[in-house]
Amino acid sequence: MTGNGTITETRRDEAGLDHAREAQLSAALARCAAGDRAALQMIYNSEAPKMIGVARRILFRQDLAEEAVHDAFVRIWGAAASFDPHRGSARGWLYAVVRNRALSIHRNEHRYDASDDSALDIDCEATMTRMPETSALRKCLERINRPRRDVVVLAYVHGMSHGELAGRLKVPLGTVKSWVRRSLSSLQECMG
Amino acid sequence: MSMHDDNTHSTDDLAADYVMGLLDGAELAAAEARMTDDADFARAVSTWRERLADLDATAEALAPSAALWDRIADSTKIKPAIPLPGARAALRGATLWDNIGFWRGAGIGGVFAALMLVVILIGALATSRQLRRELIALAQRKPIYVAVLVNDATRETGAIVNTFSDGRVELIPLRPIDVPAGRTLQVWTLWDRNIGPKSIGLTGQSRTLQLDLEALPDTVADQLFEITLEPEGGSPIGRPTGPILFKGNAARAL
Repeated sequence: MTGNGTITETRRDEAGLDHAREAQLSAALARCAAGDRAALQMIYNSEAPKMIGVARRILFRQDLAEEAVHDAFVRIWGAAASFDPHRGSARGWLYAVVRNRALSIHRNEHRYDASDDSALDIDCEATMTRMPETSALRKCLERINRPRRDVVVLAYVHGMSHGELAGRLKVPLGTVKSWVRRSLSSLQECMG
Repeated sequence: MSMHDDNTHSTDDLAADYVMGLLDGAELAAAEARMTDDADFARAVSTWRERLADLDATAEALAPSAALWDRIADSTKIKPAIPLPGARAALRGATLWDNIGFWRGAGIGGVFAALMLVVILIGALATSRQLRRELIALAQRKPIYVAVLVNDATRETGAIVNTFSDGRVELIPLRPIDVPAGRTLQVWTLWDRNIGPKSIGLTGQSRTLQLDLEALPDTVADQLFEITLEPEGGSPIGRPTGPILFKGNAARAL
């Protein structure tokens, strides 16, 4: 029973840490908007390793991932004033910038091709289990059957297009598109 | 209802596809444009970002190479965004700047204006007196004195000051200037050391400014212009107190 208590407490601590981190990131973005470069560096020190991880899942190469994170920070610096804390989290905003830069590099320079082995290492289930068991997203994704669930992970995490999804899952494009639609509306229903 | 027809995409489906990274080309550009001028769409995008954010957290943390921050620091030397005091107003400006619809309208308007100008100019040509008046007005647009304001330490050019024959004096910034909260930019001119510098303008941010030299003698060659950082409301003692950001002397324009 003591074990349960500890787990609950750890979770509460984690939630508290997330909350503190979010407040710090949000404040740092406000300071970036005012031209404070120390705040940009603070965001870099706290988030860059994770951001490189996010970019690398899309681009597979460290150099391209760093390019994406570089571009993302230039954008964060320039557009910090457009972040509105009433609309969404600083974390969501920052990682959206990173994913957008990575996707843009991916679309322009680095398409998967048949000989690309790195794309074969993708393991959607490993990504699922890395989410905390308390995650609403994880619970709701688990209610969708594979391989329909995989399209969400492959597109969001690895930046695959409809065409790339169809190629990997070996189903027609139309099927992929309807899987995406149904998976997303199921997520929306489940998460509210 | 067809699943495959992109035209039937609801706002929410489009927002979901945008966040998922499934849009490409024109669809992507259209979604990015809607982010700035469609509040419902921007809200739907934020909601989808929050829903899917836990997937970002599953990424492995990978150490960046040592040079990455230096490269970022180098690329972000100049602040392209807006200093805090005018942030709200400038933000609205930035939104308009990104608004394709606005610029399309402005473009079409511009073509019309140019055509109108041609018609007017042809009319003016017919009456040569009219044309002469236009030429005189045009000459008055050309400044008599120009001062290029430079930062002493970095040698960066920060702004220029133009003085015109009709007495108008304008300051045109050439680069954004960071103005910390509670501070303001103050413009000064000095033509006689015995009289000392006189304040001729105050602004919360670097923008084109009409300077007030009405009460002062006409601008002369070598007259000094400078921009200093002062407390909000301007220097309390009527003389520059803060650091000199940019300064330069007036020279007669050829």
